[in-house]
Amino acid sequence: MSAGPYNYSYIFKYIIIGDMGVGKSCLLHQFTEKKFMADCPHTIGVEFGTRIIEVSGQKIKLQIWDTAGQERFRAVTRSYYRGAAGALMVYDITRRSTYNHLSSWLTDTRNLTNPSTVIFLIGNKCDLDAQRDVTYEEASKFAEENGLMFVEASAKTGDNVEEAFLETAKKIYQSIQDGRLDLNAAESGVQHKPSQPGRNNLSNDQQGNKDNCAC
Amino acid sequence: MADVLTETVLPEDLKRFEKIYHEQLYKNDVTPKAQFEYAWCLVRSKYPADIQKGIVLLEELYKTHEEGHRDYLYYLAIGTARLKEYSKALNYVRSFLAIEPGNQQVITLQQTIKKKMEKEGLVGMAMAGGVVLAVGAIVGVGMAIAHKVKS
Ligand SMILES: Nc1nc2c(ncn2[C@@H]2O[C@H](COP(=O)(O)OP(=O)(O)O)[C@@H](O)[C@H]2O)c(=O)[nH]1
Ligand SMILES: [Mg+2]
Repeated sequence: MSAGPYNYSYIFKYIIIGDMGVGKSCLLHQFTEKKFMADCPHTIGVEFGTRIIEVSGQKIKLQIWDTAGQERFRAVTRSYYRGAAGALMVYDITRRSTYNHLSSWLTDTRNLTNPSTVIFLIGNKCDLDAQRDVTYEEASKFAEENGLMFVEASAKTGDNVEEAFLETAKKIYQSIQDGRLDLNAAESGVQHKPSQPGRNNLSNDQQGNKDNCAC
Repeated sequence: MADVLTETVLPEDLKRFEKIYHEQLYKNDVTPKAQFEYAWCLVRSKYPADIQKGIVLLEELYKTHEEGHRDYLYYLAIGTARLKEYSKALNYVRSFLAIEPGNQQVITLQQTIKKKMEKEGLVGMAMAGGVVLAVGAIVGVGMAIAHKVKS
């Protein structure tokens, strides 16, 4: 990143939330490093990851805060919600309790973010269909009623993981284009980084993949 | 730019957890939870004096509350790294990895600290510091042996 002008034009801040053990950290690592961690230790406080993606020809750097689901961290992790442009809210399709807690996660998110924050619901561990405890239809209805985007995904196989992160970014980008998201608002969760004209395209192609994990 | 070493706590959040901690302190009944939450905010302050205070609180917790050891080590590493006490920070990281090798979150923190050192051109210095420490340790052992022989 030290190479002078930015090789991306926007920064979007994301948070990943949901009960402990639903696979938040695995989703993050699948997205930033394309690998699955079979026994991932419990997250301490918050974990951070980045990746540069492209939406409508624009390079966007995602700054992702993965929060620990454990109750003892919850009070302080709430302060990371502020200024999130995207919130990935995760439950585990094999554990009904994690689905039942969604309304509490949703209330927190709505209270602590702004109206333009895009909330994406992920039903994780869809590779474990045999142990399914929450139907697709039910979750899909919940998402619709609450105006959330929704997919079932698997951090293990990688199914729909890219989609969830990318669709969220597309929606945020759309909000910017439509003027619904005010870039100048302090807590929009988006920063614009005008890159140097001309140099931009050149460096983009060369550095695009190198920066998968700028941690 | 924001990452675990540069993002900062909002003053109002810091105040909120400070208040809870002080109320408990006043009643002489501080819970590890309140102390940890306050310390976690302090080490993310932009003021070095706050970070230092957070480190003291975490060290105290580390000595008295075994259950949270991994949390305290992790935030001690972050606090000391923010104060640019890099050898200390890397020592905390190493202690953590000795207990939990392969913890990706902590390995990432280690890389972030090393990158920051590189940026500040401090890698050489830290290594020199390490050598001095090692020599100190050897001298220490030598002295201990000498002592034994004498007695
Ligand atoms: N089968 C399967 N296991 C998963 C999946 N995602 C996560 N896991 C496992 O679920 C456990 C908890 O995952 P983790 O990411 O630590 O959950 P977090 O507490 O929400 O961050 C770990 O043992 C993972 O290996 C998935 O998509 N499929
Ligand atoms: Mg986790």
